[in-house]
Amino acid sequence: MRIQRIAAVARFEFLSVVKRWSYLLATFGLPLFLAAVSGTVLGVQTYFLSQRASESSQFGLVDEAEVIDRSSFVEKDGELRWRARENADEVRLYASRDAARQDLASGAVRAVYVIEDDYLTTGEVMAIESEKTPLLTMRGTSIEPLLRDLLRKSLIEGRLDGEVHQRVLSPAYFVRSRLGPKGEELVDLDEALDLLVRTTIPLFLGILLLTALLSASGYLVQTVSTDKESKIVEVLLSSVTPEEILAGKLLGLGAAGLIQFAVWSSMVVVVALTASAALAAFVSIPWGALAAAPVLFVLGYLFLGSLMLATAALGANAAESQKLTLGWAVLAILPLMVLVVLLEDPNGILGQAMTWIPFTSPLTVIIRLSVDASGIASWEVLGAMLVLLTSTWLSIRVGARLFRVGFLLTGTMPSFAELWRQAR
Amino acid sequence: MGVLAYQGVSKRFGQHTALDGVSLEVQEGEVFGLLGPNGAGKTTLIRIGLDILRADAGDVSLFGAKPTPPTLDRTAYLPEERGVYRRARVRELLAYLGQLKGMSRAAARDAGERWLERVGLGHVAEQRVESLSKGMTQKVQIAACLMSDPELCVLDEPFSGLDPVNVALVTELIEERRKGGQTTVLSTHMMHQVEALCDRVALIHRGELLVYGRLDEIRQRYSPHEVMVWTAMDLVAMGLCATQRKAGCWRVELPSSATPAGYLNELVRNGVPVDRYEPLIARMDEIFVHLVGGGG
Repeated sequence: MRIQRIAAVARFEFLSVVKRWSYLLATFGLPLFLAAVSGTVLGVQTYFLSQRASESSQFGLVDEAEVIDRSSFVEKDGELRWRARENADEVRLYASRDAARQDLASGAVRAVYVIEDDYLTTGEVMAIESEKTPLLTMRGTSIEPLLRDLLRKSLIEGRLDGEVHQRVLSPAYFVRSRLGPKGEELVDLDEALDLLVRTTIPLFLGILLLTALLSASGYLVQTVSTDKESKIVEVLLSSVTPEEILAGKLLGLGAAGLIQFAVWSSMVVVVALTASAALAAFVSIPWGALAAAPVLFVLGYLFLGSLMLATAALGANAAESQKLTLGWAVLAILPLMVLVVLLEDPNGILGQAMTWIPFTSPLTVIIRLSVDASGIASWEVLGAMLVLLTSTWLSIRVGARLFRVGFLLTGTMPSFAELWRQAR
Repeated sequence: MGVLAYQGVSKRFGQHTALDGVSLEVQEGEVFGLLGPNGAGKTTLIRIGLDILRADAGDVSLFGAKPTPPTLDRTAYLPEERGVYRRARVRELLAYLGQLKGMSRAAARDAGERWLERVGLGHVAEQRVESLSKGMTQKVQIAACLMSDPELCVLDEPFSGLDPVNVALVTELIEERRKGGQTTVLSTHMMHQVEALCDRVALIHRGELLVYGRLDEIRQRYSPHEVMVWTAMDLVAMGLCATQRKAGCWRVELPSSATPAGYLNELVRNGVPVDRYEPLIARMDEIFVHLVGGGG
């Protein structure tokens, strides 16, 4: 293969793509668009949630069992009131169920809790909502845990000594730590936030890698269709070999795809750095995954791209080429289809197996490195890359031969036997 | 050994035999006409010669050896089904196609500009190909084909879609190549262009080589043994073997033993005032129809 010719094809294909509006829009516009949309959505949600949180909610309490410690309540406007949360929920203590119901019906309180006579034997507290109470309001409210705390405190008041009393009220405060590169590190991360951090970045990075891979491969399918539909194939093949065309297209469009991926990935890096700064030691940035991503992109792209080029060349037009290449895309998407399993157990049998399959390895390795880098050995990452490299070499060789057959096809598809004969 | 030589070349596509044992040779510096009806196998023969397709049987040699990337760099091809990148600018397209032939970027750019001027399209260099007319696009493609100054140039129907002025331009370009000692293979259905330009021809029909050789010899071979004589006298009344009279001219079938020159002498000896005398030479379109239409 002649480097100068490959470079000429690559340069032409690269410039043809990067000068397109659609490419510029997808590369630079998409991140801005996504940032704008997610920013707006998050902003709006945060605003409404904070508004909601600042709303003062009134609840009623009827203590028929007379177990509540009244020392927490203060008298206001002739009523005993307990400020359950600062600037938020307030509980009014009613002498009778009827009075509480009246206020509930008038909307003065959102719900009434009745500690019935037989509470000590049954443990039941009746929650009465009005018709106006939104369905999710009670379920999502934080008043019930607070009432539970109040009951607990009232029940043990004066019956236990200081420390035991305190431990009954607050039996465990989980101090979280994680084994990091420098040994055990204390973290103060909420379980939900932890899950979010540990899954969002891998998911985001994985989707970006896959989108960039499929996007770059899409350009390949498009360029082959253009060559075939514009009938320039013969001019090209009379000047350069199919292998040179294939390599040039792969490199040129791969470079365009890599730029796109780099721009998109930089968004992840910015988000990661911001998160890192904001959450200090709480968030573990998957630097290993970020570093391996470009290499995996290039290898994955070369492998998938050469197969896509060869099969796209067999199609008579763009639509047919896209149909023919769909199978490869589905194989590449497989890791996303089993994402839940990979996130739950990144280093399990499925994760390990998919690491060695060239179609699935780029995405699987990225996810495994992001979720739990300690679970994947360096030799596994290097081995997966080696398998990808070998598969790419094979697919380029077979692909170039099929490409020659397919490139000149204008009518019916050749038989499988004919394709096999040409590909050997 | 010629510039391009085929020896017993066969090619099948499924059940269809596109070429069946074709042997011919294109010699250096000539304009070689590749003739045949649609679907005869001409394009397949060209593709095999330029290593775009591989033959099932037989040998091909290009500049005395098997076609290889370096020998292919010495050739250029204008296919019948012409293609261009319609979104590309004319200058970019020519520079790209020049680089594919091994020219450096700068040389390809310079040659592109020079050839655009040569075909009268210097003013469209910055335009996109899609904005050009069909004829202009075709001239861009011809420029792209000739810009690398190829030793062998294969032109498949280079005149189709061109107006008479541009047909004359392309004819001139082919003549220039012959004068420069460069070889041109011309595949066309325009038989008067074949007569005007080609030194030798090959006629292919249903994958087989029907006729191959020097153009003048082939025309001679298929010509009737007749002459046209323009005279006011009645040749039949004079006892000569004139067979037909048409608007003051006689079409005379010569006896098998006579030659046109001998017959003219005989006329002069008999005191016939000859205004004009012309041996009948078969036109290529007549030969084509005669052979392909089943007459051969």
